[in-house]
Formats: sequence, C-alpha cells, structure tokens
Amino acid sequence: MIRALTLLLLAGPALAEAPVVPRFVAEEGALPHSFTGEWEFMVGGGVATFDCSGDGLPEVFLSGGTAPAALFLNESRADGLAFRQIDSGLEAEMVSGAYPLDVDADGIIDLALLRVGESHLMRGLGNCKFEEASAAWGFQSFDAWTTAFAATWEAGADWPTLAFGTYIDRQEDAFPWGSCTPGRFYRGSAGRFDAPLELTPAHCPLSILFTDWNRSGQPALRMSNDREYYKGGQEQLWHVEPGQPPRLYTEAEGWQRLRIWGMGIASRDLDGDGFPEYALTSMADNKLQRLKAPGPEAQPQYADVAFAMGVTAHRPYTGGDLRPSTAWHVAFEDVNNDARPDLFFAKGNVWSMPDFAEKDPNNLLLQRADGTFEEAGDRAGVASMLQGRGAALTDLNADGRIDLVVLNRNGPAEVWRNDGPAGNWIGIDPVQAGPNRNAVNGWVEVRVGNHIQRREVLVGGGHAGGSLGPLHFGLGNAESAEARVIWPDGSESAWQVLSPNLVHQIMR
Amino acid sequence: MLGRRGFIAGAAAGLLAPALPARAATADSAQVLIGWYRLVLELVRHTATYSPPVAARSFGYLGVIGWEALAATRGLTSLAGQLNGLTPLPPGPPVLDEALVLHAALTGGVRALFGNTGPTGQRAMDAMERRMGERAGVGAVQPAASLAHGRAVADHILAWAEGDGGAVVANMGFPLTWSLGTQAGAWVPTSLIRQQQAPLLPEWGKNRPLAMPNGRACPLPPPPAYSEEPGSAFHAEAIEVYETSRSLTDEQKLIARFWSDDPMLSPTPPGHWVTILVDIAERDALPVERVADGLARLGVAASDAFIACWQSKYEFDLLRPVTYIRAHIDKTWEPLLITPPFPEYPSGHSTLSGASAEVLTAIFGPDFAFEDSTHEADGLPVRSFPNFRAAAQEAALSRLYGGIHFRAAIDRGLEQGACVATHAIGLRML
Repeated sequence: MIRALTLLLLAGPALAEAPVVPRFVAEEGALPHSFTGEWEFMVGGGVATFDCSGDGLPEVFLSGGTAPAALFLNESRADGLAFRQIDSGLEAEMVSGAYPLDVDADGIIDLALLRVGESHLMRGLGNCKFEEASAAWGFQSFDAWTTAFAATWEAGADWPTLAFGTYIDRQEDAFPWGSCTPGRFYRGSAGRFDAPLELTPAHCPLSILFTDWNRSGQPALRMSNDREYYKGGQEQLWHVEPGQPPRLYTEAEGWQRLRIWGMGIASRDLDGDGFPEYALTSMADNKLQRLKAPGPEAQPQYADVAFAMGVTAHRPYTGGDLRPSTAWHVAFEDVNNDARPDLFFAKGNVWSMPDFAEKDPNNLLLQRADGTFEEAGDRAGVASMLQGRGAALTDLNADGRIDLVVLNRNGPAEVWRNDGPAGNWIGIDPVQAGPNRNAVNGWVEVRVGNHIQRREVLVGGGHAGGSLGPLHFGLGNAESAEARVIWPDGSESAWQVLSPNLVHQIMR
Repeated sequence: MLGRRGFIAGAAAGLLAPALPARAATADSAQVLIGWYRLVLELVRHTATYSPPVAARSFGYLGVIGWEALAATRGLTSLAGQLNGLTPLPPGPPVLDEALVLHAALTGGVRALFGNTGPTGQRAMDAMERRMGERAGVGAVQPAASLAHGRAVADHILAWAEGDGGAVVANMGFPLTWSLGTQAGAWVPTSLIRQQQAPLLPEWGKNRPLAMPNGRACPLPPPPAYSEEPGSAFHAEAIEVYETSRSLTDEQKLIARFWSDDPMLSPTPPGHWVTILVDIAERDALPVERVADGLARLGVAASDAFIACWQSKYEFDLLRPVTYIRAHIDKTWEPLLITPPFPEYPSGHSTLSGASAEVLTAIFGPDFAFEDSTHEADGLPVRSFPNFRAAAQEAALSRLYGGIHFRAAIDRGLEQGACVATHAIGLRML
C-alpha cells in the first residue's frame, strides 16, 4: 500500500509528459581501441572510468582481450570529447575487465585488472601511472578466466574485502558445461591481503556486487550467474559477516531460485522506498527486481517488474532484426537530468549465435513520470549495432550531462557526447579519512522538496567494469537541492543545501 | 559409469585398440554412438531453440541417422519406406568401416541439427569430431569411403527432415504476434517474460510425424468441461491441484523437480529419457545394434509424441492451473514449478513419458529395473524405478505436484503416449 501511494505521488503532475530525449553525438575515433579475441573473450570487455590526472575529468580504461589494454587521458572540453592514449603501466594483455578503487586509501585510485590468466592489483602512483602491487599487498592471484569483481570495506576493517568471480575451466574444450571454477574472496589488514577463500559453489558469475540490499548496514555479495555453464546453479546472494566465510542465503531465509544468463547487475532505488531495485541483464529477457516486502525484516524475495516497467528489452526495437537480444553492461544514470534515473543496456550477439539478433541495438530506456520506461536509444543516437559488451555512463567533459562509452567485441570502441537538452544536476563526491576513502557501500541522498533520490556507492556490478567518481543526480528544474551521505558505518552527515550544476565533495 | 566429461578419454582408450574388421568393431561403434549422444545431451541444453518439441525432433532424426548408418554396414533393415516420406538411402561400397560410417553420419547430423548452438557448443562439436575421428580412423578399413558414406547417410536424412515443418524455429519458438482464444477457459499467458506472451510453437502439431500416420492419429477426448462452478468436474480438478500444492511432502517436491526437465537448464524431457537409455546401454555394455535400435525407436516416439500432444494442446487451448486458481480459488497461489508458456491439455511430459516408457518396455521388458541419474550433475539424487512404466507414472504425476497440470492432462497424456509408441514399436528393425 505504501509503495502504491509513493508511485501515485511521483506520477501525479507530470504523468502526461514524455521524457526529454537527449542528443548523443558520436565522437568517432575518439577512443581508437577494440576488445579483441575469440572464445575466451566472448564475455568481458569492461570499461573503467576514474580521474587519475586530478583535473576532474575521468580517464577511460578499456580492456583489450588479446590486444593490450589501454588508458586514455581525458582532454575533453564542453564542445567535444578528446582522449590521448598514454603509457600508464596498465597495458597488459588478456585483460577482460577492470574496476577502480582506492585499495590503500592514499587518495590515488588503484585498479583491479581482471584477466584470463592471473588477475592483477595495480597501484596508482599519481599522474596516471600504475605499478603492479599484487606482491606488495600480499595478493595471491590465481590462474582463471576471471569475469567479475567487487569490493567493499567490512565494518572496522582497515583494508578492503575483494571478491573475484570466475567462469569456465578453459581446459575443458569438449565438455565445458558444469565446469565453473571457484572464485576467490580476499580479506586483509595492515596493508596486506590474507590467503583467499574459495567461493563455492561456483556458478560462473559474469557480474558480482557487494550491496546493502536490506539496508542492514552489512553489505551482502550478490552474484549474477550464467546458466549456460552451471549445473545445479542459480543466482546467488552471500552473507558477508565479519570474520566469517561468505555463506549463501538459503530458501529457508527466503531466497528464491532464479536461473538466467546473468551478465550484468545495476542497482538504484527507483521507487523511493529506501531499498535498491536491481536490473539484471540476460538473453531474450532482462530482469528488474523489486523487493517484495521492504522493511527491517525484509527477506531476499524479489518481484520481477521488468515487464510492468517496460524494461524487458528482449529484442531489437530498431534495425529490422527481430531475433532475441543479448544484453551485457547495465547502468542506471539520469541522462536527461529530469530527476528520474534512466537505464542503459549494452547489447551484442555473443558470437555468431544465429538464434539471437546480430544487429542488436543498445537500449537507452528513459524513465517516465509514472516510473515506467520508454525506449529512446534510436532517438538519442546510441542504437549501435556493434557487438557491445562493457560500457560506462559518466560525465566525460564536466558539463553536467552523462556521456557514454561502449566497448565492442572485435569492433571499435564508441563514445558519445551528451549534447542535451538536460535539466539541472548535482554531483556528490563523498570522501572520508582513513580506510574506504570513497565511502564504498555508503549511500548518497539528494532531496528536492519531499522527493529523495538515493544511490549506493558501489565497486562492482555492470559487466566487467565500473566507474569511480562523483555520483550524478539529475534535478530537473530545481534551483537547489539538499544532500547528505549515510556513511558505511551508518552515521549520517547533516543535510546540506547545495547549489545545482556543480560537483560537491562531502567530507566526513 | 563414466562421468560425462570423462567420456571422451574413455572412448579414446577403447578406440585405441588395434583396428579390426568392421563387423568386429562393435564396441568401438557403440562408443562412437554413445559419445556423440553424450554431447548431444549437452547441446540440447545449450541451444536456445531447443524447447522439448524441438529437442524431440532432433532425437528422432538423429536416431534414424544412427540406425541407417549401422544398417548400411550390417545389412540391417532400413527404415526407408517405414517412416513417412523416407526414401531409400544411397547405396554404399561393399566394404565399410562401421565406426567411421557412424562417426561421419553422426557428425553430419549433429552439426546440422545443432548448428545454431553457441560458440562453446561449436567448440565442443569440433573437439568431438576431431578426437573421435582420430581414434576411429586408426587402422580403419576404407576410411575415405566410410566417411563419405556416413556423410551421405546424414545428408539424405537431413534433406528429408527439411520438409517436415519443424526445421526452422524462429524467436525461440514464440510467434511475434498471437490472438488469444476467446472461449471460456482459453489459455492466457502466465509468464512475466515478454517473449512468452504468445504460446510456444502453435503450429507444431501440423508437422509431419515420423512413424505415426499424422498428427491426429492419437486423438484425445476433451478435458472436463470448463466451469467455474464449485462442485463441477473442472473445479474439482483445480481444487485437487490447489490442495496437493498445499500439502506437498519433501518427496513430492523432489519428484516435481526431478522431472521438471526445464529447457536450457536440463536435457529436456525427451533428453531425460534418452539419458536413461544411454546410461543403461553403458551400464550393460549393450551391443551397438541394440543401442541404435533403442535410440531410433525412442527418438521416433518422442518426436511423434510432441506432434500428437501439440496437436491436442492447440485443439483444446485450455488455461493453466495458475490462471484458474488465482482467479477463482486463491489469488495469492504460487505453483512449485514455473508454468510452461503454452496450453495445458494434455501434459507434454505425460505424453512423452508414456510413449518413452512403452518403447523401452517393448525393448527391455516390463520388469526392467533401472536407476535414473539424469540430474546427478545438477545436484539431484539418483532415483530408482522398478520398471519404465513406473517412471512414466511418476513423471506424469510430477506435473500435478508442480502445480502446472490438472489430472486429466496427466492421465490422458499417458494414454496418448502409449498410442504414439505403438507406431515406433511396430517399426521393423531388429
């Protein structure tokens, strides 16, 4: 009843208004790079964005598969996006993805490099230079087809907790099904990681995420798994309790079995109830999960509202290919700054699968005032038919509009500049001293009148890549907003009145 | 029993034995046949179009390919002239290597029938062809001619298959547009998946059967007259589903899941029965001609069972228990299993299991006990059955436990399956 009332209030005055469709201008050749490879790189292709030059513009890291990965220095301006590939120390081969995080809390962003082979932790040295720090940090890597990553800082920990998800045993060329290899779970302290724990049972995750799904203050580990390869598998949610090995939520605790071709996870509180919804990408269907009974005693039971909300994105909406779609990276961002988060799917055939669309356009689903979504990928200009995999939605030129990078498999990377129109916006960059400098798994809330937008600070999810930087909120026509941070330990900053169209750092 | 992924190594060891004349190569031939079927049981699971009817069709044609490849080298009775529209196979040279003929025929059949599988399936087919071919080719008699004849057998049967109405499956079997029935009790979608707002393969019942004369050869009486009146036969059936679901024992839940056989998460119902036969063949080291005979009859029966069943499903176009129960008994009711996206009557698994059990009973006898380990790798236990009919009864009843079928669909489905099986059993083979 409370949820229905919330939707009604949100839907009220603007019900008849269609969302504004932003113009995305293709910046052709701005990121001269491809994610290449065959079987071992049919998945992956992650994009990471983060500011390592200190100019407020996020750099773009692109995984390369069989080609070297590349870091592009961001030299964009308001009227155009421009990048320059630089020698950074990140030019490893066999890279499937990457996630930025500040492992050692020195204020310089580090990078987890996911590889087919041994993954690396790369320490940021400043000025966009990196060095491998796996040994220095006691990180015991392992040989695997690594496809997923997430990080959190557990309560009281001075060092991050990392999870790596891995895929198929690549030695099993004849009968690979059922050969999902165990991921690894790392804890540490005092500047070093301990020996990892194996994450079993393993069900071939392609996206994992530490997330405080029930607002308990203790994030759990969500895994979206590829049913193509597991046997007896399903989606997973793990308890992560300090000092204890990760432990799966069970049916007795309310966990409901779901088996999809899980490829990506994104989260956002869409309905304003304080609990995140989760978008999960798959093939021929995508999920949008809403907690059935939100509250302090919530069980991990979700209703699939993708159909009702108009985000199944199950087959191409343009281009004439009517075969089912294949979705990879997924992200919520407000691309038109109307104070309603929108949803993006990167699309692309796995690899010459004739039962699925070859011309499979990306989706840009704009949220309407009533909470449902409408397709605007073609009208916005991002309906690329290349073989999309990873992506990043972030403001690349500091104009307050969310831009888009898509990394395609065996095709050129694509980048689009958002040319508006767009409403007002605000960026919030939560920073605290000591470990977990970027407040990972804390929450940022932005309030305009009675309407609160909130999002969790996350390292993980998407497909094989993520962004670290200020969190973006559209404000519509609002001329001011209030913001606060709920820090990872549950303490709350005071609401602050902030000016729109600026990035604000909220220090603890 | 060898593990699935251990099979190639096992097969390779057997095939590395000194080459013998074709007729003496029985063990090798059986391993070729079983090896390819083990792969097919995975490909069925990992090819997106392989809903149960489509899977059954492939098992049908693959069974015929295996049999005809063997018949060519052994002078066994061909199915040409016995199966609808199958013309005489091309003659082969007088001396052939049986294992290589079989290998080439199955390679051609599997590559064609599973050509749409994903990159991993393609890679697995490559590996199977390479490894099995290398082993089977060691010291083979007339290798080039044997491979050519195997391919010719496959080509002939695949060309015949092209015209049956089931060769092309678009959009994973779901029409892009569909008009719902307007009669009381008509099927309505039960899924939240957009693709499944139209029912699966509504034209499948019009396909050309293999052994059955036509899709209406095993007709069914109508289900109980649709009624929303408490006390009516139809309402009573719904109450039975509802009450059963509220008092399920752990054993009944296990049975429901054991026979759930969901597409893309299992070898599907026809693959479940093929697994039973392949496991028996390995356990008992059956001679290749018996394995081929069994796989062909079972495949033919399965393929025809889905044609007969689908013909009836769209003739009666009945709603599912979840639709009725939520509308008239309990709006919060949740069945244990996911309701399949097509009309209810009769139960596909019941028709299929009824047909499969009768075929296997005809081959192995009415008291042939066996263990079913189909889902062992998925974490479900091995189940033991005193005979095939008991397994079919359990499979059929599992749909009641799962909350996806009414009683009539189960009982009439088994009867329809028994009818379908007579046509496969009647084929002149061994």
